[in-house]
Amino acid sequence: MRCLLSICLLVLVWTTFVYADDVNLSVAASLKEAINELSDKFTKTHPGVKFLKNYGASGALAKQVENGAPSDIFISANVEWVDYLKSRKLVDIASIGTLTYNALVFAGTSDKASSMRDLIKLEKIAIGSPKSVPAGEYATEAFKRAGLDKQLAKKLVMAKDVRECLMYAEKGEVDGAFVYKTDALQAKQAKILFVVPQELYPRVTYPMVLTSTGVKNRDAVAFFAYLHSAEATSVLARYGFATR
Amino acid sequence: MLHLSPTDYDAIRLSLQVAFAATLLSLPFGFATAYLITFVTFRGKMLVEVLVNLPLTLPPVVVGYFLLLLLGKHGLLGSLLNDAGIRLIFTLKAAVIASAVVGFPLLVRSLRIGMEGIDPQLINASRTLGAPWYDALGTVILPLSLPGFIAGSSLMFARSLGEFGATIIVAGNIPGVTQTIPLAIYEYASSPSSETMALSLCLVAVVISMVVLFLHELMAKKMARRG
Repeated sequence: MRCLLSICLLVLVWTTFVYADDVNLSVAASLKEAINELSDKFTKTHPGVKFLKNYGASGALAKQVENGAPSDIFISANVEWVDYLKSRKLVDIASIGTLTYNALVFAGTSDKASSMRDLIKLEKIAIGSPKSVPAGEYATEAFKRAGLDKQLAKKLVMAKDVRECLMYAEKGEVDGAFVYKTDALQAKQAKILFVVPQELYPRVTYPMVLTSTGVKNRDAVAFFAYLHSAEATSVLARYGFATR
Repeated sequence: MLHLSPTDYDAIRLSLQVAFAATLLSLPFGFATAYLITFVTFRGKMLVEVLVNLPLTLPPVVVGYFLLLLLGKHGLLGSLLNDAGIRLIFTLKAAVIASAVVGFPLLVRSLRIGMEGIDPQLINASRTLGAPWYDALGTVILPLSLPGFIAGSSLMFARSLGEFGATIIVAGNIPGVTQTIPLAIYEYASSPSSETMALSLCLVAVVISMVVLFLHELMAKKMARRG
């Protein structure tokens, strides 16, 4: 009986070890492939560093960090979510920087729309949920400024992040989806139907920051510095991200 | 105190619509299936029983995914429906189908228990008096299955109110069109600073479920008193 109890206690303690060289990344879903490549490159020059990557909608990630999810570096697809964590004193303000930029496009498998006006003719349009997905927030802002938001109200299928949006567009169950230019370039069946005019939404900016725990993690700080490097910029450019 | 937005009221209305429609749609099929399993012997009966119970044990997202493969634009049935101009995916009809499929085993199970409890002497008596099988079905089995109907429908209704996995896959999260209460709460749960709204909607969900369960218990007591 006592033997069983001590085994149980041992198992409980065992599972709570946190390895010092783990770097926890919370990154916007649209950066998945780019960050995978950058972290692989970094591991080649810094062996022993282990990355735990969490890709998702920036708002959902911010909420996870707020609720105590382990995170050393946070890269969001808009400034709103970094400001959110800043106001809750969860990030190192001095480290806030900009990783890269992007553009919003409308992608789909059919040729039914070629401009913002054409959207009202469509039946179903996928966007990220504006409550937590920056791509959805940018799209909703574009609808408002174009005066189309009321007409499009019942056509919007909400996705949990921009990649799910792209999946809907690829499957063809929606007439099109609002994704980033870089996501559309990755698509196999969907193609860019039109680029959303930049005057309709604020520029897509990816702020990046070290969290309060991340700033104390040497490997996280090193990777963060690596993201500022010319090599990182060229990798991002290859995926279609804008550099300035 | 209760903060409910217009989309929340839509979510409540849609949840109730889907639950009612799914239950009503499944009743005839559920009754027929339960009758076959309880009173008719045929080869492969065990396979039918397993298939009927399958949606109960499969993860709802798997059920949803299979429905998507079946009813999607490029699906087995979906491509035929698409040619006829009928679109199911990302409409409320898909949400009703998803709820009907996941709730079906619960309905059949309750009806079976009700039917197995019918005194076989009564059925035999009706047969000896010359009633054909359909007459015995309509005038003896059907009325005596009423407790089973009530138990099954309320269980199925409650299950439909909480259906999420299959619904989000085939009906999608479209506010005002297919966003039922679980989908709305999921959207609130993924986004920061929506705590009061999420809690208000959760409270509504709890209240509706309690009302359904109370009615279920009340009717069960009434049936027991009569019998």
